[in-house]
Amino acid sequence: MQVQLFSILLMPLFASAATVLFLRKSKWGGAAVSVFSAAFALAMTISVLTGDFSARGIFKVSTEFFKLGGFSFDFGLLFDGLAANMLFVVCFVGFFIHIYSIGYMDSDNSKGRFFAGLSFFMFSMTGIVLSSNLFEMFIFWELVGFSSYALIGHYSDTDLAREASKKAFIVNRVGDFGFLLGIIYCYWTFGTTDFESLHQILKADPAGASTAMGMLVLCGFLGKSAQFPLQVWLPDAMAGPTPVSALIHAATMVAAGVYMMVRLSSIGFLTEPVLDTLTLLCGFMAVFAGIWALGQNDIKKILAYSTLAHLGLMGVGIGIGFDLAMFHLSTHAFFKATLFLVAGSVIHACHHEQDIFKMGGLFRRMPVTSIVALVATFSIIALPYFSGYYSKEGILMASYGRFSQTGLFFDQFVFWLVMAAAFLTPVYMARLFFNVFMGSPRSESASSARESSIWMLLPLAVLGFYSLAGAWSFAYDLDWLGGKMDFFIPKAATVFVGDAFALRQKAFYVIPNISTLEWTALVTTFCGVVIAWAVYGHSRGFDIVQKRLPRLYAALRAHGWFDDIYNWYVVKVQQRAAIFLATFVDLFLVELLCVRGLGIFCAVLGQGFKRMHDVSGNSQVRWIAGGALFLLIMIFA
Amino acid sequence: MDAFLKFMLNAGVYVPLAVSIAMACGPSLFSPRRSKIMALFGASVSFLSALLLWGAYMFSFSGTGFAFATSPTLGAAEFPSFALNAASAPLYALAGIVGFSSVVWAAISEIKNPRLYFTFLMFMQGGLMGAFASTNVLWMYMFHEFALVPTFIAMNLWGGAGRRQAAMQMAVYLTLGALVSLIGILAICVQFGFKTFEVSEIALLSVSLDSAWQYYIFGILLFGLGTLVSLFPFYTWAPRGYAAAPTSFAMLHAGVLKKFGLYVIIQLAIPALPLGYADWCGVIAALALVNVIYVGLVTMAQRDLKLMFSYSSVSHMGMCFLGIAAMSVAGVGGAILLMFGHGLSIALLFMLSNAVVNKTGEWDMNKMGGLYKSAPVLAAFFAAAVFASVGLPGFANFWGELSIFVALWKSSPAICTLAATGLIISAVYGLRAFAKVFMGEPSKELSGKMGGISDISAAQKFAASILLAALLFVGFYPGALTNSLDAELSAVPSLNQSK
Repeated sequence: MQVQLFSILLMPLFASAATVLFLRKSKWGGAAVSVFSAAFALAMTISVLTGDFSARGIFKVSTEFFKLGGFSFDFGLLFDGLAANMLFVVCFVGFFIHIYSIGYMDSDNSKGRFFAGLSFFMFSMTGIVLSSNLFEMFIFWELVGFSSYALIGHYSDTDLAREASKKAFIVNRVGDFGFLLGIIYCYWTFGTTDFESLHQILKADPAGASTAMGMLVLCGFLGKSAQFPLQVWLPDAMAGPTPVSALIHAATMVAAGVYMMVRLSSIGFLTEPVLDTLTLLCGFMAVFAGIWALGQNDIKKILAYSTLAHLGLMGVGIGIGFDLAMFHLSTHAFFKATLFLVAGSVIHACHHEQDIFKMGGLFRRMPVTSIVALVATFSIIALPYFSGYYSKEGILMASYGRFSQTGLFFDQFVFWLVMAAAFLTPVYMARLFFNVFMGSPRSESASSARESSIWMLLPLAVLGFYSLAGAWSFAYDLDWLGGKMDFFIPKAATVFVGDAFALRQKAFYVIPNISTLEWTALVTTFCGVVIAWAVYGHSRGFDIVQKRLPRLYAALRAHGWFDDIYNWYVVKVQQRAAIFLATFVDLFLVELLCVRGLGIFCAVLGQGFKRMHDVSGNSQVRWIAGGALFLLIMIFA
Repeated sequence: MDAFLKFMLNAGVYVPLAVSIAMACGPSLFSPRRSKIMALFGASVSFLSALLLWGAYMFSFSGTGFAFATSPTLGAAEFPSFALNAASAPLYALAGIVGFSSVVWAAISEIKNPRLYFTFLMFMQGGLMGAFASTNVLWMYMFHEFALVPTFIAMNLWGGAGRRQAAMQMAVYLTLGALVSLIGILAICVQFGFKTFEVSEIALLSVSLDSAWQYYIFGILLFGLGTLVSLFPFYTWAPRGYAAAPTSFAMLHAGVLKKFGLYVIIQLAIPALPLGYADWCGVIAALALVNVIYVGLVTMAQRDLKLMFSYSSVSHMGMCFLGIAAMSVAGVGGAILLMFGHGLSIALLFMLSNAVVNKTGEWDMNKMGGLYKSAPVLAAFFAAAVFASVGLPGFANFWGELSIFVALWKSSPAICTLAATGLIISAVYGLRAFAKVFMGEPSKELSGKMGGISDISAAQKFAASILLAALLFVGFYPGALTNSLDAELSAVPSLNQSK
């Protein structure tokens, strides 16, 4: 198993290196190598999961890699039910997005760079999944940040990509700053950052977990998973090619933060205050991102805000029961990847038109894409039997159950946040769907749209199917399927969530009024769709809110003025401070006054001494007299 | 084998010096072409010697102390004794690698009066190799001066805008810094009664020195050597100096020679003056933080490409000093790792900036943009160098910064937190530079010239690849440095073992 896991990790790295070194100019060489490595990783993953690996056990190898005095760093692999779940999601979604990219990037001139970046991303992401300790995770964490930077900046000649890639890396660095400090703090407190050892330590002494440490680590999550207040980079990251948005900025990389928190939460690392902070921040994000999504016309940006909202839901999930977060992460990966691929297919067909109000009527022109879009939309708005339903209902019910148990205002508040998010999702998704696929075409490019190539449709169909059926293997109450769903997702990958979820569902039955809640949730969803139909359902070619209520629309569009505030800080405060330091302090005070000033002072002094030493008799007499006087004073004083 | 390695250790120092002297004495013998070949020969001997000895040290030498000790004699004349230990072997290797790369770069650049240029460059090369190979403090100092003086002259002769003033300033600062350090070094020797000048023996005598003397001598050494490393507030020579210096000399000075000050502190001052070291640690940390944060912010405001990287190198030196201030094996070891990584990455950045400036004819980053399209390979190298200096895992710098942060937290979480802001600051200016030069649409000034800009040549790629390969090698296998460093530094009593 060790060999298999290492090969899953390293194969994409070799593919990436080979492409950069030898296949840079080759038209399809890079793509071939990269897709092969992704296929290899998926095949290996499935063989590991269906092999002798027991998902309830732990496989671990670790060796010392770096040692200086008291600082030793181990490199190792940790593979358990949680890692199995994540690895399957990453490799599965990743592979199909690789295939999809062949079609989407067909006319791109820098395919080599693109596929090298994609493979490098697979390498770093697998590294995060398989990390056995926090330092190791940090290394791959940074590498994921780098691959995201490289891929967002793919269209390097546009100013948009230039700013977005820089922003993504720097905002993530701000989060990593806290993350790294948290890791170091952990290292010196517990003497290790190894997940298993930490588990043992914290099991023996649950009070040993520190809130400060948890808060620092939380910073890393906020950066990578784009939550308050570090969410600003994710919508801009849509400047990258659409497959990248699907893989990195929706399905997997942003979920790395969730994965990390789930892992830490599962070993008891996160204290109550940390979890509450997380729940609150993410709960707000789940609602606000949903509202902001209504202020966007760009199809990818709407999906980006929807990603923020669903990452927020996952965050709430971590706060109230980490298995729920992992469940939602998995289903979200399927349906959000599908939606992005749909968006890519539409954008590709409409000649890179991204404004949903300039599309319309695509149902007839792109039937396959449209049906898949419909399935994925049903999944994200949580209609029964679709994947998204199970994981979202899980979070909703758990938050309700918690509130009905504790009766705390905080828990009630969190429940209403989740409820609001559940209402907003159908609103913005229906707005998107009606305008893109229904009605009649509203632009030249939309009316000439044609169905995409098989390279794009195949992954669409597969991932579309998983956004319908992906959750069926996780949720064990679906007795009518027996164990048949193991064919679609290997059992080892679903055990982590499945075990916990089975217990949880039993607990749901004893919550009072639970069936009322189920019905309320469904009605809420339908209300959302109906409202969206009433407001946005008529193909007009513009956003009615924008026309009628321009101020409200502007407020939605400004997404909380975070970007404005940060821009103001960067341009007006930070850069001005830097320029002030560079010109006034560094150039004027230090360089001119101190350094040159000292030079000038010495020169003037020298000139003065020179004057006093002229050859005239007067000065000689003065020196002799002065010297004599000095001596006398010295002698008698 | 051992005899051969010892021979190579001597050759690495004396061959470049001999080449330089030969070129200086026989002007008529050396045509531009021939002097290039001679310089390449001298540099490759150094390069080979560096790789061989580093490899031999890495893989065969275990334990602590100096290996490959050699003190050749010629008749009655005694030559300085050379040897390498865990602290000097990486820097000796660094000098060889950066030196070779800079000579290759110079050989393919257009230079006025190449014979003279290579004369100075070879002299500097020999001096550098000698400074890190010597075990005798006085010879260490002498070789350092050999390397230092050619810089000023070369700056005056081949430098860019503002070279006279910059050279003057640099000469005053560095000569003074060196002089003050010499006083410190001599003070140690005086205190020990001139019994020995060998570094390893001086360290053993340290028990006999009382704490007041240790305090004063360490202070003198800190400010003398600190000036050489551009420690705040004595850093103003560096930015404009490097910006005005010809590329090869900037590479060698910022990449290698500058590390000499840190090297002497680690090799001599820390073992010999343990009490003085402990007393000064707070001051070192405070000054180094100013380097990291204040100079980091100043770096962010720079528009001139070369000036920006010069400031960034001042800022990174603060990080090395912070490692020393942590007073632990991980801290000092991290400082050496970072010295090694930074030496390679800053040399690469100066080299590539030179290529960018040559191609665009602009210094100002705001007047560039979109260079990726016409020079993708240059862009890739540049990005690699930027990410190395930002501390991305996979490059040598990462391990240095990581162990410095880990070590700092143990001595003071507050200082560690402040220092870690350097992570963000360096990302801001590094990525901004890459974005401004290579991405986006070309500026007005450039858009007309864009068609005539080509990618870097094969020879240039070769020069850059040497540096990049070394960065990646240590990035993927930090054990190349740390295996021996861990043992060596753990034997120094003044460094806390458990940290």
